Amino acid sequence: MLSRRTGLLALPGLALLLVGFLIPSVAMLFAPPGVSPLDIFARLGSMLTDPYDLAIIGRTVGLGLIVTVVSIVLGFPIAYLLARSTSRWAGVLLALAIFPLLLSNVVRTFGWLVLLGSNGAVGQLLVGLGIVEKAPQLLYTELAIVLGLTQLFLPLAVISCYSAVAQVDPGLDDAARGLGAGRTRTFWGIVVPLSAPGMVVAATLVFAGSVTAYTTPYLLGGSSQRMLSTQLFSYSSVSIDWAAASATAIIMTVLVFAVSGLSAVVGRRGATS
Amino acid sequence: MKTSRPVAASLAVAGYIVMIVPILFVVATAFTGGRSLRFPPEGFSLRWFEAAFAYSPFVSALVSSLELALLATLLALAIGVPVTLAIHRGRLPGKGIVEGLFLSPLIVPELVVGLALYQQLIIGLRLDNFPVLLIGHTVLMLPYAVRVTGASLALADPSVEEAARGLGASPIRAFFSVTLPLLRPGIFSAGLLSFVTSFNNVPLSLLLQSREFRTLPVTMLDYVQQSYDPMVAATSTIILAGTVVVAVIAERTVGFARIFGGINR
Repeated sequence: MLSRRTGLLALPGLALLLVGFLIPSVAMLFAPPGVSPLDIFARLGSMLTDPYDLAIIGRTVGLGLIVTVVSIVLGFPIAYLLARSTSRWAGVLLALAIFPLLLSNVVRTFGWLVLLGSNGAVGQLLVGLGIVEKAPQLLYTELAIVLGLTQLFLPLAVISCYSAVAQVDPGLDDAARGLGAGRTRTFWGIVVPLSAPGMVVAATLVFAGSVTAYTTPYLLGGSSQRMLSTQLFSYSSVSIDWAAASATAIIMTVLVFAVSGLSAVVGRRGATS
Repeated sequence: MKTSRPVAASLAVAGYIVMIVPILFVVATAFTGGRSLRFPPEGFSLRWFEAAFAYSPFVSALVSSLELALLATLLALAIGVPVTLAIHRGRLPGKGIVEGLFLSPLIVPELVVGLALYQQLIIGLRLDNFPVLLIGHTVLMLPYAVRVTGASLALADPSVEEAARGLGASPIRAFFSVTLPLLRPGIFSAGLLSFVTSFNNVPLSLLLQSREFRTLPVTMLDYVQQSYDPMVAATSTIILAGTVVVAVIAERTVGFARIFGGINR
């Protein structure tokens, strides 16, 4: 079967990839209809200096970092406990952590509208417990976006960390314990360093997902908490400003590529050291 | 599970609360007898399910979503499986680069892909919305077809195919009677993954929709922005039920964690 003719089977796929992805993407980033590349670079320059645009970039990156940290802090313990558990419930709990990945983002984000809305359960609970007198504004805040994005990407963190922890030989834990290390020291000295590459993968996936997600910032952030994705949509569908849309797309793509590249470098260094 | 690790266990519980509780609240609200998303729900009724089934924009959007997801999945498999064969069994120059190219739609933000297709193909080349939507979804599903079926092909021993050829089978016959059966679990996994991903997609469908063809997630997004009643909760519950069915099918056939988590347990 190893023949030149078999290699030709890739041609229809390559054609689709060129027409339906590569050519349009490059053309959009550098030469939208009626716009010169110079306009885009000028727009890019003004976005990187204008306080309003910088605030949006800052919010996107800042919330992305917070969501990444929260997802690792909550996701790694889940992965660790499940990978080390011998209970038959571990499989069920793992499935429960992966299942949300299959469920529509709109459905998952809608849950936060129900919980955080003006008559929602969280506000009522806070009032009922006497913590606040009047239900606070929870929707259309940065907190709402962080909660929504964490819900969205936590399963990815769990999966990546799980694969990593599962590859760490439990015998090493036992050896460390046998040599007198406590449970905490074993965790931080053995499990965490050995599964660090998985954590890097998890952090990359969560960050890239968070800075490009649209549904969640749109529903939970509203018009007061703009992010790059909601800006990109309004430039391309509401105000039809191709130069601004392309400039925003370039910023977003560079962010994602930079983080992926950085994680590849960190991962390689971790592998050789 | 025994909790000899209190800190880790509390963090894990918090994680599950963030992942699962909002979904439970959607289901609870769907069965309310009242008119608002107030909690606790006022009474029990199925009125919002009836309302959702009677609301024609949702029903036609559901049909559109299923149609698009099915077509995009079939197309992605029809184009992606030959690519996998070319990469793993053919003599291709720069195999690594070709494979990377087919995985690249996963890295570029979906909104950026959607904007590119909208601007260049719909505005620029004046193509109709539906073919562009189909192209976009198919391109987005190609990485799954190439990577997931590639994983099962990499495990299959090429000498079995060579034996079939040595015994006189034509390349096409060798493919259909030897290679394809080996690939079946991979193709099935890739298909399920693609179908679910396409059905749930928002960024592409949002930018490439037309008045005549809108998908369900996009229609729901618009509805939530205008009115704030439990009908979306009921629709969400129906989608949840459908997703559970897909998950159970996946578990019974190839193994849920293996398909969707890439975890070999």
